[in-house]
Amino acid sequence: MLKCSGLSKSFEKELFSDLDLELEPGEILAITGPSGCGKTTLLRCICGLDKPDTGTVFLNDQNIGSQDTEMRGIGMIFQQPVLFPHLSVEGNLRLGDKNGDIESALKEVGLENFEQRNVTSLSGGEGQRVALARALLAKPKVLLLDEPFSSLDEDLAMKLVSDVRSILKQRGCPAILVTHNRIVAEKFADSVISM
Amino acid sequence: MPEMNIRLSNSCALLAYTLLVILPLWLALDRLIWVAGANPLDWYLSLEQNYVSQGVIQFTFIQALTSTLATLAIGLPIAWQLGRYKWPFQSLTKAILTMPFVMPSIVAAMGFLHIVGRAGLNIRVDDSTWFTTLIIAHAWFNMALVIRFCEPVISTLDPRLEEQMRLLPAGSSKTGRFRHLWAPLLAPSIAAAACMTFVFSFTSFALVRWITLGDNTLESVMAGIGSSAGIEGYMISRNEIVLGSSMIQFTILLLSLFLMSWLQQKRQSLLPQVSEEVVKQSNPKGWTVIGPALAFALSPLIAVFWASFRIRNTDSSGTHYTWETSGWEFAFSSSNSMTSAWDALYNSLGYATLTLIIALPLGWILAQTILDVEKDKPRFARFLDVLTMLPFAISSVMIGLGVMLGMIRIDAEFFYSFWPTPALAHVMITTPFVVRIMLPALRAIDPEYDECGRTLGISKWRRFFQIKLPLLRGSILVAVIFTLAMSLGEFGASWVVTRNSDWTTLPIMIDSLRSIPYNNSLTAPAACAVSSVLMGITLVLFTWAEKFRPSRDGGMF
Amino acid sequence: MKIFTFLVGVLILNLTISGCITDKIDDNEAKQPDEYEWVDDGELVIVTYDVYGLTDEMLENFENESGYEISLLKLDDAGSVLDHLLQHKGQQVADIAIGLDNTYLQTAIDNNVLWEHNAILQNISESALLPYDGPLAAPFDQGYICLNYDSDIVDGVNYTVPESLWELTEEVWNGKVAIPSPETSSPGRAFMTATTDYFSTDSDNETEWTDWWSAMSLNDVIITTGWSEAYETRYTGGYGEWTDGYVGDAHIVVSYCHSPGVESWYNGNWTKSAALDIPKASFHQVEYAAALEGGNLDSASAFIEYLLSPEVNSKMPIENSMYSALEGYDLPEENGYLFHSVVPSEPAVVSSTTIANNMEEWLEMWNKAMVDA
Repeated sequence: MLKCSGLSKSFEKELFSDLDLELEPGEILAITGPSGCGKTTLLRCICGLDKPDTGTVFLNDQNIGSQDTEMRGIGMIFQQPVLFPHLSVEGNLRLGDKNGDIESALKEVGLENFEQRNVTSLSGGEGQRVALARALLAKPKVLLLDEPFSSLDEDLAMKLVSDVRSILKQRGCPAILVTHNRIVAEKFADSVISM
Repeated sequence: MPEMNIRLSNSCALLAYTLLVILPLWLALDRLIWVAGANPLDWYLSLEQNYVSQGVIQFTFIQALTSTLATLAIGLPIAWQLGRYKWPFQSLTKAILTMPFVMPSIVAAMGFLHIVGRAGLNIRVDDSTWFTTLIIAHAWFNMALVIRFCEPVISTLDPRLEEQMRLLPAGSSKTGRFRHLWAPLLAPSIAAAACMTFVFSFTSFALVRWITLGDNTLESVMAGIGSSAGIEGYMISRNEIVLGSSMIQFTILLLSLFLMSWLQQKRQSLLPQVSEEVVKQSNPKGWTVIGPALAFALSPLIAVFWASFRIRNTDSSGTHYTWETSGWEFAFSSSNSMTSAWDALYNSLGYATLTLIIALPLGWILAQTILDVEKDKPRFARFLDVLTMLPFAISSVMIGLGVMLGMIRIDAEFFYSFWPTPALAHVMITTPFVVRIMLPALRAIDPEYDECGRTLGISKWRRFFQIKLPLLRGSILVAVIFTLAMSLGEFGASWVVTRNSDWTTLPIMIDSLRSIPYNNSLTAPAACAVSSVLMGITLVLFTWAEKFRPSRDGGMF
Repeated sequence: MKIFTFLVGVLILNLTISGCITDKIDDNEAKQPDEYEWVDDGELVIVTYDVYGLTDEMLENFENESGYEISLLKLDDAGSVLDHLLQHKGQQVADIAIGLDNTYLQTAIDNNVLWEHNAILQNISESALLPYDGPLAAPFDQGYICLNYDSDIVDGVNYTVPESLWELTEEVWNGKVAIPSPETSSPGRAFMTATTDYFSTDSDNETEWTDWWSAMSLNDVIITTGWSEAYETRYTGGYGEWTDGYVGDAHIVVSYCHSPGVESWYNGNWTKSAALDIPKASFHQVEYAAALEGGNLDSASAFIEYLLSPEVNSKMPIENSMYSALEGYDLPEENGYLFHSVVPSEPAVVSSTTIANNMEEWLEMWNKAMVDA
């Protein structure tokens, strides 16, 4: 459902050129590579935060290359959980969907009764779960994940990896993960590409 | 398409800023140079060649330098005590000691006048006593700077550094520790505080006007002769004096700005800091410093309030004082020769609000513009940055002269009765402060917040109101309160402008009341009454600001 | 790029505007009365310094009688009033100027900022009309400027009463003489004018009046911006010691020859201040009310008539501490007012033409004398 062809981008040096990528519905893809090779930039080009030099991005056979990020319907999880400190957990979740079912969203990520918690008191893992719940409430067509597990310690990371995978599979939400960790990549995704 | 809108609003802001702020100054300078000729050497020399300005440069520098030294001498022990030791009511103490900085200068002038004048200690009789009073008054104002800059550095130093120093031969003595640890640590902060104190003392007006007996700083000389300036073929020397004074001031202030920004970089900690939860001991001996300091900080304000009720009655049997409210009644009554304090109050509040409505959005957009441009065109961004700081380098009297001469040239009769005229000067003075407050705050916002909002599908306006605004809440509040306080207490520019306008403000009314000659025993208490009102409003604003101040590094705000 | 172009455009705009304004300045001529552009807006804006005589009561009376609404623009001294008039040439914001005296008036006239009023004046005393009797300004009070001394302190023991101005340059008077500046104050300017006559007609042919001022400067004479600072704040012989800002370091001050009379009046027939009647060291001053170009000529003229009406003007000695401008009214005898007031035997004689021709140069010479000392 997501089809990128001929993407290239350079920032002083060439990051990637003539890159093709396809994502089937419900598929989870992982992209690995060393730091600085342009994985994050690729994700940003897909969701619209950056513009590729050449190439097209098609979502459900529609060219979204000229659309603003807000309109594309592609969600993103960042490396650090980007939670807004002036809002509670519930407040953050409502940013994803004003009228969403907060309770079940939290239940889905295993954080029941966390509604009124102060986001600054959450651990790294808890924060990423909230970020995930929020992104999912926005009902994205594709979910992009930019190394969200790399800042967590290994056991936590692995638990989170399998939990997130099963949530995504349950929802049938296609996703692309970017990581430098091959083990995480293989555990999380159906297929792995390296850059 | 949205990019075009951003560009449009940025350009509009720049245009508005240029028109509002730069144009009056340009007009004034153009006019002055047209009358006096464009020879800076003549301007400089005219200061010593004219009786009215003779000795002024010297006096200005000497009093500014002495004030700086006095401020450091008074402020450093206080900052030390506050930073090193635990104090009950820590935040209240600190607030009281830093509060003088936001007090309107005319209120402080009234306060000190009453302490040293006839109704008080009666020592304002010769040069040395009033000079000392002036210096002490400047120290009163500016010790807050020393505290604000130095105390956070002292209180957040990682204690292990000091412990380590104690164990080394170089740090085994107090002087050794001072030389190797405290001096290098604090030097940039002290230098910054000294620099700013110098600037504020250098451009002092209200205090010089009321505490000295006719002595002048460059600022007060400009105010005094400003009304003669800009007239074709008339008192050309006065135009030269104004140009010379503003040129000197501009140079000094510009140098100070550069020095400050250089020091700002140095102050990015040399040594590791920890949070303030470092355990501090209490120091009972420190009360010998903090106690008098608190009394010192509060005394002029108490003096003003107290003096507003004290009416002098003089008759053939001598002078005695009674306690009445007639000073207050007199102040709030109106007559042909005197506006009522109610009018002055409405005007001041109105001007403050108007200034806020213009300066806040304007300053914000300018700050945002600088940020937007920074990525692609850093040199242009630097240019804009300096442009917004321009009013800093121009003293308030000069700004007032700029507005006055500019308005007279455009349409004197219109601007005379145009209510917002004095507020223009306020906008010129406060906009740079807004930029200075908002720029670092905007910079500190992680761009990921906005990007994340975008990936969640939140529209631009919703992102602004739901994400950006709440994150900036603290800084916005500080900017709001600061702008209001500055407008309410503004004296130098308003003094010049209200002479050519039909309106008055609270500080100007205080000055006018006190200037009324002859034996009216109600004018001084009335001036104190109005000062008390102004003081009260400032205190309220200040307490709000203290609550919401984001506790970042020891900046001025 | 767009922003940059905008900015450049703005700068060009600024340049054009400022070019326009500078041109307009040259065109800022005083309004000519034959065009009679004035409008009766029911208001009277008075530009003045703190003239005591303009009491609330007196102003309210006028408002009630004439129906005009008064607003006061209060400046510091006669100099600021003149400055204001010149600043607003061609676009005056006030309707009438009160407080220019015969040493300031000519400059205002030369710059065409005054208009002929249409008030009908009757019974003006000859002395008041002596310096100027034209239609552009009406005298409303007068007096003689001279030195006053504190007779309690200047009692012949430590200080002797000076008999010539040169005595004031002696060591004993160092820092004890206060004179308002001729650049800003009208009594100050009047006194300076007197010294031009004093020193040109004294027996010493070698010294000029500027030499005396230089000597005074060396002797730490206190120069203040205005009369009230000199008299109230600095002078020990007057009512100043009962005011809040009092300092009291001068025992001789430039004031009016009738100031001791005023003191006596308010003290209930007692004063320690005395006037110094040294020949040629006093000057006859007349103060004027003048209608301004482009202002409300009707209300200005009405006010001038009111100011010169017997009911108001006869009270000048009491309300304003000055002689009346009308014929036949002298200082009151009660409380020793008349008794303690001195009429100088030989005031300085300086014609209005001389003043008109030389004032600018005199001020420059004065400035130079004070600076070069």
